Amino acid sequence: MRRLSGRFRSSLIIGLQGIRARKLRTLLSMISLFLGVLAVVVVQAGASIAERALLADLEITQGYDGTRVMDMPMEQASTDMLAATVHGRSDAVAMMGVSGIVGEPGVLPVNPGAAPLDQDWGPAMVCNDVGCEPAPGVKGQAVEVRLTALSGDVRKFRPFRTVTGQWLDFSKVPAMSPKLVLNRAAADAFNQYRVPAEMRVGGAAANVTPQFVGVVDDGDMQPRAYVRLDELTTWLPTSRMADPMTGGEMRLLMSPGSPVEPVVVSKLKALGNEPYVYTVESRKDQEKQLTLMRLVFFSMAGLVLLIGVAGILNVGLATVGERVEEFALRRAVGTPRSLLAGIVLAETLLTGLLTAAAAIGAAAAGLKVVTMLVGNSQPILSDVQFPWEAGIAGIIAGLVAGVLGGFIPALRAAGIPIATVMRA
Amino acid sequence: MTTLIALDGITKVLKGQEQPRTILDGVGLTVDAGQSVAIVGRSGSGKSTLLSVIGLFDRPDQGSYQLDGQEIARLPERRAAKLRSSHFGFVFQRFFLLKHLTAAQNVAMALVNGQGWLPRRQRRTRVLEALDQVGIAHLAKSRPTKMSGGEQQRVAIARALVRDPKVLLADEPTGALDTETGTLVIDALLAATERGCGLILVTHDRDHAARMGRIHDLVDGVLTERVAVR
Ligand SMILES: Nc1ncnc2c1ncn2[C@@H]1O[C@H](COP(=O)(O)OP(=O)(O)OP(=O)(O)O)[C@@H](O)[C@H]1O
Ligand SMILES: [Mg+2]
Repeated sequence: MRRLSGRFRSSLIIGLQGIRARKLRTLLSMISLFLGVLAVVVVQAGASIAERALLADLEITQGYDGTRVMDMPMEQASTDMLAATVHGRSDAVAMMGVSGIVGEPGVLPVNPGAAPLDQDWGPAMVCNDVGCEPAPGVKGQAVEVRLTALSGDVRKFRPFRTVTGQWLDFSKVPAMSPKLVLNRAAADAFNQYRVPAEMRVGGAAANVTPQFVGVVDDGDMQPRAYVRLDELTTWLPTSRMADPMTGGEMRLLMSPGSPVEPVVVSKLKALGNEPYVYTVESRKDQEKQLTLMRLVFFSMAGLVLLIGVAGILNVGLATVGERVEEFALRRAVGTPRSLLAGIVLAETLLTGLLTAAAAIGAAAAGLKVVTMLVGNSQPILSDVQFPWEAGIAGIIAGLVAGVLGGFIPALRAAGIPIATVMRA
Repeated sequence: MTTLIALDGITKVLKGQEQPRTILDGVGLTVDAGQSVAIVGRSGSGKSTLLSVIGLFDRPDQGSYQLDGQEIARLPERRAAKLRSSHFGFVFQRFFLLKHLTAAQNVAMALVNGQGWLPRRQRRTRVLEALDQVGIAHLAKSRPTKMSGGEQQRVAIARALVRDPKVLLADEPTGALDTETGTLVIDALLAATERGCGLILVTHDRDHAARMGRIHDLVDGVLTERVAVR
């Protein structure tokens, strides 16, 4: 142990002496390597930031990986059963969507079917026993939204980002008039159409004045308004929610292994429905795309790194050429070849590590500056931490470059004949 | 007197050119502890080649070489490196001090061997002792670029002495110095023989050669002892 550490230590110390004696040279070999390591670090950081951003978007729209999702038809019986089963639970949240029109009374909404404002999903329809036909009336100052009732805090499964105001508070007793949180699409629609604040929901006891408390980013293009299920039902009976004219979607989000799942499944079966359940696997779905992206970036970074290695190699060889006498002398006084090679390798390794540290620092500082400058306009870049994977990739790149760039010079140094000192 | 070095029939042939050239031709030489030997001869006669064989920089093509009674004419490099550091001290015409190190660091360089370095304390005392032996302990922290030629050569001698070598090999150590400074350098080398170290000095200077115990002439690779004519 002492022997080994002594040897290792002496190569490090002598290598450091060499670096200090040739600062300019070391700096030169660092510059090319710096760019190479920087490329690796930036690519790795970019890849993990992109991956996180991609996954974050998927998490908002689909849910966290592992979330169990059950879709079911909206019927009075199953709606009542579901509302009763998940009531007060946090490991399972039901989302029930109905149609809501906010605006001038008696006119058709500008976006029938709660279509995104820049899309046309066709005219509003009314249906009866015979069939469906376009609804009478004219479009006016009204916007249709998907009114989504939540049995609990859905952000446990889908991390909505609050844009302004507040999110729904599920800890308080339900209010008599429902509080609403809009998604971005809905907020944009209301910015575009200044509508009188009155909300109509088919089958509701009366129209209400909606109380908007906040705006969130839910990743959805369709205008949506979120509301507490228990607040909505004080005003809209569940029987109406299940009306095919107004309702339509019912979804249950569950933690993996939640006891709610088997209960709901068996109850649905008893009602004559075959439930469809699946698990969110965003990462797996994206894996292929991410791998390809990484591959492309890394081959580019590898190329730049190779140029860096060539630089360190070039300078290293030139240095050995200049130091023939020093190495011959060291061998003459009994330094074994292996230690000599170790000294040269230690120099390039230290250079590589130093460079890696500099490049990582530069990349981290650069990221900080970028997030500070554009973080507000680019939500993906706000609140981004320097990924540790990038730091590790940089250190490895520096070490590899040091070994590759120092190996040949080290062999050269070890092979210098000692008698050189006699003929100089 | 213990015999340190015993060469017998050492032959070194240079290949590579059109025809092989014999540089050393059956050289025999013995050096005992505390003895000093001068080797003189014309330029190109093979003096440096002989020293590089003795100092284990190179191996002879034929002949026997005993160091401390051990046959080492054909030794693998790893063991040769060990013997170089344990048995020999070298001084050359050029000083070969590393410009980026102080005098003390230059001397300490010779304390690196296969096991790494001695502990810092021991290293310090031995380096200062060696510098003191050649009379320049006060220059320990100076760099070679700020020293005179004679001082630099004495740092080189300290570097050769720091390991307590059994044999000092000096190849024209005064070649780059004026007479007076050269005398000081020879004094330092001879002082080491008084502590039992063997000395082999290659020189062109008659006066320096005359101060050695024996003088050998090397002529076209053949070594002969000069009969004393005192
Ligand atoms: N590596 C080599 N390649 C070719 N020739 C060599 C080599 N080494 C030594 N020689 C030749 O061997 C002969 C002896 O060289 P050496 O250096 O031993 O002479 P020397 O006596 O030390 O001379 P000087 O007094 O000039 O130092 C010379 O003719 C030299 O040209
Ligand atoms: Mg010579």
